[in-house]
Amino acid sequence: MTPVVRVTGLSATAGDAVLVDGVSFEVVAGDVTALVGASGSGKTTSALALLGEHGDGVRLAGHVEVDGQLVVDSNGVTAAAPSVRGRVVAYMPQHPGSALNPARRIGTTLQELANLHDGDAREAVRAAQLPQDRATLKRFPYQFSGGQRQRVALAQTLTCRPQVLVLDEPSTGLDSITRLQLVHELRDLAATGLGILLLSHDLDLVRALASRVVVLDAGQVIATDVLPPAPDLEVRGTSAAGQPLLTAMNLSASLRPRGRDVVLHEADLAVRAGACLGVVGRSGSGKTTLARCLAGLHERYTGTILLDDEPLPVLRKRTPDQHRRVQYVWQEVRGSFDERRPVDQQVARTAQRLRGLAPDQAHAEAVATLARLGVAAITAARPPSRLSGGELQRAALARAVLAKPDVLICDEITTALDDHGTALVLDLLTELKDRGTALIWIGHDLRLVAAVADRVLVLDAGRVVEQGPPATITTEPHHELTRRLVAATRIGDDPHTPPVLTLDPRSEPRR
Amino acid sequence: MRSYAAQRAGLAVVQLAVLSVLVFVLTSLLPGDAADLRFTETLTPSQVAALRGELGLDQPPVERFVHWLGNVLTGDLGTSLISGGPVVDIVRHSIGATLVLTLATLAIVVPLAVALGIVMGTRENGRVDRTITSITLALSAIPDFVIAVVLVAVFSLKLGWLPATWIGGNLLSSPALLILPIAVLFGRTVCLLSRQVRAGTVAALNAEYVTQARRLGIPRRQLLLRHVLPNAAVPGVQELARTGDTLLGGVLVVEAIFAIPGFATALVDGVETRDIPTVQGLTLVLAIAALLINLGADLVCNRLVPRTALLR
Repeated sequence: MTPVVRVTGLSATAGDAVLVDGVSFEVVAGDVTALVGASGSGKTTSALALLGEHGDGVRLAGHVEVDGQLVVDSNGVTAAAPSVRGRVVAYMPQHPGSALNPARRIGTTLQELANLHDGDAREAVRAAQLPQDRATLKRFPYQFSGGQRQRVALAQTLTCRPQVLVLDEPSTGLDSITRLQLVHELRDLAATGLGILLLSHDLDLVRALASRVVVLDAGQVIATDVLPPAPDLEVRGTSAAGQPLLTAMNLSASLRPRGRDVVLHEADLAVRAGACLGVVGRSGSGKTTLARCLAGLHERYTGTILLDDEPLPVLRKRTPDQHRRVQYVWQEVRGSFDERRPVDQQVARTAQRLRGLAPDQAHAEAVATLARLGVAAITAARPPSRLSGGELQRAALARAVLAKPDVLICDEITTALDDHGTALVLDLLTELKDRGTALIWIGHDLRLVAAVADRVLVLDAGRVVEQGPPATITTEPHHELTRRLVAATRIGDDPHTPPVLTLDPRSEPRR
Repeated sequence: MRSYAAQRAGLAVVQLAVLSVLVFVLTSLLPGDAADLRFTETLTPSQVAALRGELGLDQPPVERFVHWLGNVLTGDLGTSLISGGPVVDIVRHSIGATLVLTLATLAIVVPLAVALGIVMGTRENGRVDRTITSITLALSAIPDFVIAVVLVAVFSLKLGWLPATWIGGNLLSSPALLILPIAVLFGRTVCLLSRQVRAGTVAALNAEYVTQARRLGIPRRQLLLRHVLPNAAVPGVQELARTGDTLLGGVLVVEAIFAIPGFATALVDGVETRDIPTVQGLTLVLAIAALLINLGADLVCNRLVPRTALLR
């Protein structure tokens, strides 16, 4: 079968820096090719070369042939590049939901694309599994939930009737059950004859889908058609009992005043010094609200939160020492960094403010902690916009760790990390735990949570539906959701898992 | 959409209520009243007091307010203490010239500013962008009266091409009268507006949704007109509302220099003669106009990009 896309010896340079060096791969109709690598390894740069697109000051060279047309040659991007955009190659960015124009009804853009590329908007809407009534097409992007917006973006790309679909990190931010659903949908799309180029650091997803794999590292191909083995994550048993350090009793939280829109119902939890409590659930199950209550950021709650048997007030009423003792690391960290100051200084600031360290001492500690997490000193000395999502996630963790907290709340802090980055994070957290820090680990990936936590709590629609030691939860799940979460951890092992066809209506974007 | 319009209109009604109180209270705070000013030299204190009673000036403020508001709601803005005629007539006579001036200025400035804004925005920091920015900034930095004096000196006195002052008659029937006043108002408005459109264009061009539309093969022209412009127009429309407010109320210098009997002139006359009903009436009309303009701007913005102007 002749490939639709043939890339040979592609390079991308910005001044003296080489971003991509001699990358070659092919995409064949009806088949999935995966570009695998950590963030910053050149996946997106390589994929955008198919459209003849590159960043400012970046020079492309090599041989990129798309549908028989030369898009990039040894002199750079050719004049033929604009003609393949959409028509032959359609690209889905990492957060496709934010790539929708807020000023346009979705039907207008779909029809515009259909006219342009001789496509069929209705057919695309159907293939993207959106409701097919007229009213849907008249809605604006803000009238869709986060999950539906992704489908709208998919419908846009499908309307172009491309031969190749490029998906950039499609599993980012999906809970494991939705991710399993994604695998089945992508298989169906490939079965219609579409060539798929999958860019991902999510090896489970790649194992489940791709028949051709190209592993990139620092812009170079280091392996083809071989995947690094899945890390062996051990499920922990229970550990010894002791006095709880942080306790929450009868905790309910609502989004609006006076208890309207309740998102968390009467949750009880306790975590001891040196222990780790894992919290799992789907998107929208109330995990983050629970974390924000404990961190003091969510003020609309009822119930009791105790730290060392003393009531823990909301954040703005906490003493400096309480500030230091409870630290919270959340998922979307970019907005929490000042874009004008170097990251290492911002990380060091917690040690200065909360522990009273001298600036140079705090800085040294920041650099050391960042280095342990795999963020080099030279990278950390840059402003946040120059760091990748994964690097910033680790910087946010380092920032919290520098406060030497007694309770550390980690809310999906490994979503942008590859296996290596995740291992570094887990290594640091294990050490903290051994020193007596209590951890609360929030995640949707039961496999990872089970490997980290001593005790696991399963949340569904704001209620605790099951809790117990990880070994018990994973081997004898009682609740339906837990069973589905356990099944979803095996997407790589079993390609014939039955599809899960409910679209999660609760996947609203977080405020 | 509809509920946004309803909410926004509801807010406007509340604003209107607060505003009517403010207008009344603030104008009442003006020192002295018409009785003081006009008759103290010729009348005895007891006659002044009698006059006050006749004009209703001796009643408690709350009663006066209720009385005034009741009249306003029936379309009666009161009677001028000076001319003795209804305030509504003063409004009617003075607003025409100001409206013509404002609308004519906007009709020239808006298309030009939008075009300039897009040209600048699509060439961010290029030579064209910097040139236009410099020129419009310089124009807006010169005070109105300086431009006015220079223009009058050159085009009216030296060259004799254009009339320097309004000498009666209809502004619309002799458009030559409008050229110089508009030229004076032009500089600042075009600068402020085009800069907002430029900023909006730059933001939209850098937005992810435009990048994505480009990647899906939408040609440049279509991209600019259909994907960029609606988003880029939002800050422009909001600026336009502010410009409209300023033009209606703040063309005093222009009215004074070109002797145009407009709104600002009438307002200043009213203040000078302590003609409280006139000042109240004119201020109220101006405030309502500002309110409606901003209501309109918010509704337009919400239509262009739903949720941009969402009430919180």
